[in-house]
Amino acid sequence: MSGRPLWRRGFDALERPVGDVIAGAVQSQPFADGVALGLHLERLVRREVERGTRRWLHAVNLPTATDVRRLSQQVAELQRQVRALSHELDALETAPPPRRRSARSAS
Amino acid sequence: MSGVTQAPEALLKRLERDVARAVRRGRNGLRYAAGTQRTRVGQTPKDVVWRRDKAELWRYRNDAIRYAPPVVVVHSLVSRSYVLDLHPANSAIRTLTDAGLDMMLLDWGVADAVDADNGLETYADEYLPAAVDAAREAAGTDDVTLLGYCFGGVLSLLSLARHPELPVRNLIAMATPVDFEGMASMTGLLRSRRLHPEDVLDETGNVPPEAVENAFRLLRPTGEVAQYATLWENLWNDQYMEGYQPMAQWTRDHVPFPGRAFLQTVDLLVRDNALVHGPLRLAGRDADLAAITCPFLNVMAERDHIVPAGAARPLEGLVGSEDAETLCLDAGHVGLVASRTAAKVTLPHIAEWVQRHSDRVEA
Repeated sequence: MSGRPLWRRGFDALERPVGDVIAGAVQSQPFADGVALGLHLERLVRREVERGTRRWLHAVNLPTATDVRRLSQQVAELQRQVRALSHELDALETAPPPRRRSARSAS
Repeated sequence: MSGVTQAPEALLKRLERDVARAVRRGRNGLRYAAGTQRTRVGQTPKDVVWRRDKAELWRYRNDAIRYAPPVVVVHSLVSRSYVLDLHPANSAIRTLTDAGLDMMLLDWGVADAVDADNGLETYADEYLPAAVDAAREAAGTDDVTLLGYCFGGVLSLLSLARHPELPVRNLIAMATPVDFEGMASMTGLLRSRRLHPEDVLDETGNVPPEAVENAFRLLRPTGEVAQYATLWENLWNDQYMEGYQPMAQWTRDHVPFPGRAFLQTVDLLVRDNALVHGPLRLAGRDADLAAITCPFLNVMAERDHIVPAGAARPLEGLVGSEDAETLCLDAGHVGLVASRTAAKVTLPHIAEWVQRHSDRVEA
């Protein structure tokens, strides 16, 4: 006999079939279409809101979300370049020094 | 007669127990809701032995190392590595350290806009080989044992397949997906091209942690409700709460998935299933799992809903190792590393396998 309380046994008995039904539903084509549509609408609304407010924000000398995004992308790009340069420097520091040609071999 | 006299006593005892539990349930519930008694995670003492950008290699302190080379754990890109060191009583790292192993962990940190450009090859060709070198240097050994967990296993496989010359003595893949056709419930939307991977990226160019969390949530839509039911059932139990809190914290604590690596994952691993159908061409270079010839252990969980056993099982046949073994356990994805099964079965088996494939050294 299970030591679990009655409410829990009832919950488990209900949760499994309900869970299976929902899990099946989220794998379905309509759900996939819904997710894709939701993402598309979200982007569309955001773009329209930005477009609508851009003129007013710029009129009072305030940046829009797009301006901030562009700036942070530029900063990220700069940081990537700094990172690449420091990696190159590290590689140069750890690399063995180039061999000098001795006087004998040079002559 | 005795049954009649015992009944009120038993009833009284049960009442006492229920009242005591109700009091503890109330106290623990308040503490949990207020977040005043959070368990500290990642308590095993460690030192940072290597750092590059956001990646760090940690070496766990151990005065009783009995085996070499060190074991370098390569963590996933989408979750926090403290799952391996949740709590002193539930710590994979501690269990393996206690087995005399020299444990190190490669943590990727939290990706931001700067890391959005990191591709799979950034990890496989740059970070991982450099971390392996740093581990060898820190431990004073010629090679290492690599242990990749979840997507960290994929990165380890890619690194070793693209660089078979890497000084890796042994390779362990834990809950590592290779056959992405077997991960339909996780990747179905992307695989069928009903969802474009670019649409999932946020303004930083990465997959936001909420998207990662939602993807996991979709795998078991009623999982969270069931989790709360279990919490309510055990809220009176202080010991349970001590273990529950760090785990609950971890399941809601994801990190962004670097954008370019995500796009490559969808394109090459999910849609082309290139780890199985290979070779996987990445940044102008092929990665063929057959090039991996070191001793290999594939550990997977029978009840893993994130990386189903079917997605991990083909690995043993794909690598070129003659000494290859598969261990399939009755556990879930996280249960492999953080559970009673982990402490009693998974980790001792891994420790024994590593010991068998390592050199004994004087402590």
